[in-house]
Amino acid sequence: MLVVGVGMTPFVGFRADASVRDMVVEAARAALLDAGTRAGSVDMGVAAYESDHFNRQMSLGHILQDSVGLVGKPTLRVEGGGATGALAIRTAVMAIASGSARSVLVFGGETNGKSVDRATATEILAMSADFEWETPVFGTFAAPYALMITEHMRRYGTTAEQFAEIAVKNRRIALDNPDGHKGMSITVEDVRASAPLSDPYRLFDASLLSDGAAAVLLSTREWAERYSSTFRERPPVAVLGSGSSTDHPRLSDRSDELFPHFAAKRRAARDAYRMAGIDDPAHEIDVAEVYDSFSGAELQAYEDLGLCQVGEGGPAAAEGRFDLGGQVWVNTSGGLLGRGSAVGATGIAQAVEVTRQLRGEVSGARAVPDAKLGITDTHAGVGSLAVVNVFGRTP
Amino acid sequence: MRVTGVERGTTPSGDEFSLLEIEMAQRYRHAVGSADPFYRGLEDGVLRATECPECGSTWFPPRRFCDAHLSETRWYDLPGTGRIVAATRVHSPPPFGGIEVPYILASIRLDGVDGGITHRVACDEIPERGTVVAVRFSNRQPAHPLLRIAFAVEEVTA
Repeated sequence: MLVVGVGMTPFVGFRADASVRDMVVEAARAALLDAGTRAGSVDMGVAAYESDHFNRQMSLGHILQDSVGLVGKPTLRVEGGGATGALAIRTAVMAIASGSARSVLVFGGETNGKSVDRATATEILAMSADFEWETPVFGTFAAPYALMITEHMRRYGTTAEQFAEIAVKNRRIALDNPDGHKGMSITVEDVRASAPLSDPYRLFDASLLSDGAAAVLLSTREWAERYSSTFRERPPVAVLGSGSSTDHPRLSDRSDELFPHFAAKRRAARDAYRMAGIDDPAHEIDVAEVYDSFSGAELQAYEDLGLCQVGEGGPAAAEGRFDLGGQVWVNTSGGLLGRGSAVGATGIAQAVEVTRQLRGEVSGARAVPDAKLGITDTHAGVGSLAVVNVFGRTP
Repeated sequence: MRVTGVERGTTPSGDEFSLLEIEMAQRYRHAVGSADPFYRGLEDGVLRATECPECGSTWFPPRRFCDAHLSETRWYDLPGTGRIVAATRVHSPPPFGGIEVPYILASIRLDGVDGGITHRVACDEIPERGTVVAVRFSNRQPAHPLLRIAFAVEEVTA
């Protein structure tokens, strides 16, 4: 199964000149042009978005299906919190694997940026915690992420300066990404001096809320040979694996042993790696887009994705093991901290970045030399639903 | 819903745009559903959990049916004590209000049940893992019924 086209809008703080459907059309058009095909040749659409509240539109999925030129074809709307975009790609993989479709256009978008004022955004986001048992006692996800990293610090000696390095790294990388929301040149001291959210997390440890859209076109090799005019012009990229799992949404339901870890991410990675034939992820994977909703979440993900040993994430972050030029290049887009996050588009934008890396289309310091194998990692909540997708250059 | 204004402008790259300012307000009658005995318990000064009559599995937050046996669970009272797994100091108020910032929030493993709660602890410093806490009930009308409770530090274990 191949990735034959990718496209995205830049992620920005506010698109005054575009609605969410305008942005999805821009991304879908870019993916179709990249593939050298037209919507009329595509078998199916999968729409990815999280929130009716942010987008101000119910049943947006089949409205987008119409807007991108796929009316008359089957569609499906996929939602999985922060993992929405990656879950939509996984859904397309299942549709093609089942024989239901030969080609699927996956498109996602969200207006998480400044079209809603801060108070409204806070209220909407608070509803993504458990409304019955959590929302009344904490309003932002900084709190449960802080609880997890606090236990990680106690157990492994991880420090706030170590995960601040990740906030610095991803914002620095985003400076070179033309699609990035807010690259910044900051220091660990700047991160630690920013406004407190939920101890030990500070404002610069938290990811961005963006407006944006992204799209990928997946297909069988036979479909690509027939309908994609650009297919033979560059090294094909294949979807090699996909894994997904779940965990108790409420931290207080999780075991003491796994409290500072993303158990669903471990299972999703295990299944995705097995499907892709990866035995040694730390040495086989060249490039990874990792879900850095908070700086410490990227550090935890290094461990749960098997890129380093459990407890080693802190020192690995401090020594730059997953920076540009490191053992695995993590978040060459700048991640959610720098490139930004428009929830429904985020997991798709990760796949766009990894595909471009595998094709050798990224230039400058962000370009991973001779990248052959890449992964995307996203999760919902504080890891209650995780999706890991694996992509590789293929003959 | 109502449109309260129209804003027009030009982006830095020269694209003209129009923005509608829209106000929407939602109101709900929110059913607490199967948690009703828990909410009534808060007014009686007791934390309630559920137990499977067949296998003895227990739940907090309470569940109406046993995952394994699908049988209807029964309610019982908890002692209201527990142990902190992790705690943080939160600097923004919860969406219903009712808590002054900053405040201490902790994931608490409750005694007498296989489960726990993430809730406020009434103390100034971030307590360590293992700190024993006990529930306290307020008689004041809270911003949300779940805020009728908070936890207090009982004793610190090394």
